[in-house]
Amino acid sequence: MNNVDAAPPLLAVENLSKSFGGVHALRSGSFKLNRGEVVAIVGANGAGKSTLIKVIAGAHVPDGGRIVINGSEIPRTEHSVSHMREKGIEVVYQDLALVPNMTAPYNLFLGRIPKKWGIFVDQRKMRKKTREVLDTLNVTTVQDLSQPISSMSGGQQQSIAIGRAIAWGKEIVILDEPTAALGPNETAEVERIVEEVRDRHGTSFILISHNLDQVRRLADRIIVTHHGVTSREFAREEVTSDRLVRAITLGE
Amino acid sequence: MANATKLRSLVTPKQMERLRDYVPFIAIGLVILLFWMISGDRFMSVRNWTFIAQQTPVLMLLAFAQLIVITTGSIDISVGSNLAFSAFVAALGMLWFGEFGLILGVFAGGLVGIANGLIISVLKIPSFVTTLAMLIIMRAVVIIVSDGTSIYITGGNISGGTNISSVSAPWLLSLGQFPAIFIIAAVVAVFMWVFYEKTAFGQQLRAVGGNEKVLRLVGTNVTLFKIKVFAAAGLMVGLAACVNLARAGAATPQAGLMIELDAIAAVALGGTPLTGGYGSVVRTIIGALTLTVVRNGLTIAGVPPSWSQVALGVLLIAAIAISLNRSKVDVVK
Repeated sequence: MNNVDAAPPLLAVENLSKSFGGVHALRSGSFKLNRGEVVAIVGANGAGKSTLIKVIAGAHVPDGGRIVINGSEIPRTEHSVSHMREKGIEVVYQDLALVPNMTAPYNLFLGRIPKKWGIFVDQRKMRKKTREVLDTLNVTTVQDLSQPISSMSGGQQQSIAIGRAIAWGKEIVILDEPTAALGPNETAEVERIVEEVRDRHGTSFILISHNLDQVRRLADRIIVTHHGVTSREFAREEVTSDRLVRAITLGE
Repeated sequence: MANATKLRSLVTPKQMERLRDYVPFIAIGLVILLFWMISGDRFMSVRNWTFIAQQTPVLMLLAFAQLIVITTGSIDISVGSNLAFSAFVAALGMLWFGEFGLILGVFAGGLVGIANGLIISVLKIPSFVTTLAMLIIMRAVVIIVSDGTSIYITGGNISGGTNISSVSAPWLLSLGQFPAIFIIAAVVAVFMWVFYEKTAFGQQLRAVGGNEKVLRLVGTNVTLFKIKVFAAAGLMVGLAACVNLARAGAATPQAGLMIELDAIAAVALGGTPLTGGYGSVVRTIIGALTLTVVRNGLTIAGVPPSWSQVALGVLLIAAIAISLNRSKVDVVK
């Protein structure tokens, strides 16, 4: 950790730990995330990366350690998904982000459906905002907003999921295997969107991916987890795929 | 097989999708044509259609209640027992508090719905089991409360006869007759359509049916919502009970026996998948109407009741087999 900026980081995670029963899924997770930065977390299955992510997202309450967002520590008593959302963290889960039988606007507004006269859905407002968000992302392939998203391609669906995060001014977006289920073209589209959003809005991303090429394309810094510990950190320029594989498998 | 391939090349998948949406409408059209051909004017008469218009509303309202629940992916098989219970409470309400006591029947239905919702979402017992238990319990409660006797709605005052409970409410009886009952049903249908298609609550029914986990992830209180869903369905059953009370002129312990199956069948005939996430008010109305027309048509054609039940079952399977998009179904339970 030699390139610490002078400005305080947007998110600082220090020595987070979490065990389930007797299993220490996460022993010590520490890293920092600066504004407008993409940080990737890589590791073998069971190395603790998804536990780390779920703790940061608020889904698990940590056993120990601290989470500091914008200089203020999150008290353990308030640790929850909704609190983390309020603090500006949005998670784009691999396959759990969208309601397949609903339209793109509905999914974009999920949990925040705007109402007319208290009970009616404000369709016009939803459609307008959806168009704006899709335009921001430069997504031109979504034409019919009245179709259920299950009729869209995986890449379009993922762009709606990412769009939801930025539509509500989230500062930190956690991408959990965003392209694992996508083909090469759609993967490229999602990667383009991530870069576009970061450059335009200064949004920060935490990327979980098994695709090391993708990690090296997108991430400014790469954190390696090994046996529940964030054991290594690399800058994009200094690392090769071989070096990463050794860190992931051997922890060296 | 060759025919199917031919058909597939004739219509694009999108047109096929649209065609499926029309299956309920085509089905009722064919059914009406068929019975017209068989029974002629005995079926296609003003008198018979007046009868159908009088028979359909109660089933339609129960199908609405069912639609609300089924859209979320749950099921409510307690609607028949709840109907009998709510009708009894409505009649008792009129007996004790006068005409406005009728409204108690609607609330009684809502209460049973809330009980269903609480058991399902707090105790986490599947809706099928919960409402099956409620079906048994509420039917028993009705028999206990009524002591096996009925409460009659009469047009005038009955003198004497202390062992017969009756309420004089000619206005209620007239509401149960043709033009009035049809108008009531139409008004409720319009409200139901607006509720189901345009409100945030209606949209959320579909969303819960589509992916409940995501809604929980974004912070929606799905537990509370499900209680509201069953409460709404219960209120609709309570309303159906009042309409049934007006139409039948009595609250009987046997009211609505097995009608929960008709209500589910009506929803299914309307092309709504029982797995949740989708649904349509208009097509549910068509489903309820189809069920009534077929039963009526078979009776007029002289088919014995048991055989007409067989025909209804076959129709149900046929209608769903045609409207189901099998390429989208991966698991059948």
